[in-house]
Amino acid sequence: MIELRGVEKTYLRGAEEVHALRGLDLDITRNEFISIMGPSGAGKTTLLHILGCLDTPTGGSVKFDNLAVEHMPETDLVALRRQKIGFIFQQFYLIPGLTVFDNVGLPLLFNKSSKKNGATGNRIMSLLDTVGLTERRHHLPNQLSGGEMQRVAIARALVNNPEIILADEPTGNLDSENSERILELLKSLKADGLTVVMITHNGELASRADRLVRLKDGKIHLA
Amino acid sequence: MGFLKLPVKNLLRHRTRSILTMCGIAASVAVLFSILSFNKGFEKSLAREIKRTGIHFMVVPSGCAHEVASLVLHGAVIPKFLDTSVVDHIKKIDGIEIISPLLVAQLPNPGKGRIDLVYGIEMSHLAALKPSWELDGTVPAADDEILMGAEVASHYGIRPGGSLSYPTVNATFKVSGIVKKTASQDDAFIYMHVKKAQEIFKKPSGATAVGIKVTNPQSVSEITEALSERIPGIQIVTMNQVVNSISNLAASGKVISLSIAFIAVFISAVGVMNSILMAVFERTQEIGMMRAIGASKADIFKIIVKETTLLTLSGGVAGILMSAVGSRGIETFVRRFMPYVPGGNVVTFEPALACASLAFTFIIGIASGLYPAWKASKINPIEAIKG
Repeated sequence: MIELRGVEKTYLRGAEEVHALRGLDLDITRNEFISIMGPSGAGKTTLLHILGCLDTPTGGSVKFDNLAVEHMPETDLVALRRQKIGFIFQQFYLIPGLTVFDNVGLPLLFNKSSKKNGATGNRIMSLLDTVGLTERRHHLPNQLSGGEMQRVAIARALVNNPEIILADEPTGNLDSENSERILELLKSLKADGLTVVMITHNGELASRADRLVRLKDGKIHLA
Repeated sequence: MGFLKLPVKNLLRHRTRSILTMCGIAASVAVLFSILSFNKGFEKSLAREIKRTGIHFMVVPSGCAHEVASLVLHGAVIPKFLDTSVVDHIKKIDGIEIISPLLVAQLPNPGKGRIDLVYGIEMSHLAALKPSWELDGTVPAADDEILMGAEVASHYGIRPGGSLSYPTVNATFKVSGIVKKTASQDDAFIYMHVKKAQEIFKKPSGATAVGIKVTNPQSVSEITEALSERIPGIQIVTMNQVVNSISNLAASGKVISLSIAFIAVFISAVGVMNSILMAVFERTQEIGMMRAIGASKADIFKIIVKETTLLTLSGGVAGILMSAVGSRGIETFVRRFMPYVPGGNVVTFEPALACASLAFTFIIGIASGLYPAWKASKINPIEAIKG
């Protein structure tokens, strides 16, 4: 599904040149659950951004469903993110003024094809049912617990029917009980046929993925 | 979720800031709309008032036409008089329907602490010269009878049949009638027979002006040319010239006030830009997240422009409503400070003007949203969601 070959990412931090990724090779197959671990500065988040077409490598190649994305124009990258990729963030990034229902439906606002085929309300309700928040649909984010907010964020990531979920430390701000629940939710997505890539610092959770990729100094240390 | 819901919710997140910004826009649009309404109403009311005078032109002593315009419509005193012998010369010109000498002067009434404006006029010409008047009572028949404007009658508390004394000229008048309120300068005058006015002001053959009504309005320029040639020492002021003189006098005031209004709108637009820019900076992470979940730069740009437009349009609507509700107050204020304002309701609600003001506000909204929207669309999602 995603193929990374010799991926380099270098950027400037002031006058200093930072090599976030150094010739990284990685294949992600469809319906795989991968966890990525590594110390701070190992390049985990940079890798996730490249996988999610938010960033482009400074060297090497990235193929998404056999399409080379490193030189894709911005509009095509946006379309790819809309249609095939779902993001989950550690800080949830829910919009405070919108209800749970509207937060889940937010990506549909930018997806013209979803407006054409309609039934967006049913899709949102079905996802809220999946994450167990049907009763909370009219609540605002500040009325939810951390675990509930992350479940809203997961439903939001799924609303466009993506092929892959990229989760950047989804349990980083949660207690163990909620972390467990989120992991089970991600595993159920995998069971439903999605590909899941999760960055985590939690070794126990990471070990329960299909594959664990360890990064160190911008390179794969152990896969 | 509709595409307007998100901008609305974003604005409501900082209610106080949004309301204050909206108030700034509302105040400036209210000023702009009021000035535009006043300017438009001024022109209309002036034309209406001039039409209501019932004369086509005035013969006045040579001098400044502006003074004459002010004199006849406002009641100022100019120590220059025509000799009524000009009436005989004017009569020799064909095509003239009415020749009416007018004597306008001030008459002190120290007992009442007032200085009244007296308008000497040929009472037989009253119906032709003031066709829109409605009287409570009758037109003065005898020389010692007067007609009072509604305002001055109300001040004295006099009804038709009452009397009014002026000890300074040793005269007492019987009030034969009161002119019903015209909401114009006419309300402030006391009307008497021109002969009586000449007598009490000791100007037996003096007139401030001679009002002329012609039989065929098309022949005004022909007749005025003939009069100028035949009668030396006079000046002819047509009603169009009076309108132009007053309009020119008011023009600089209009330009200044409009400039101030536009500056106020500009300042409030900068306030809107500042407010939206702050909101964009505060929502950097959110915007980054939206970019990550599929929003294009254009989508972000549109959201911010919509927020700005909503804010300015709601301010614009509030401003127009404020202006419409407060139009009487604005009119009173303007009348206090402007030397001449035509009668009637000068500040009126004009739907076309309201639409034009809203369209202007809409353009201002879009313009002031462009920079914040551009900044928002340039937010790098990677940097934003790094936190």
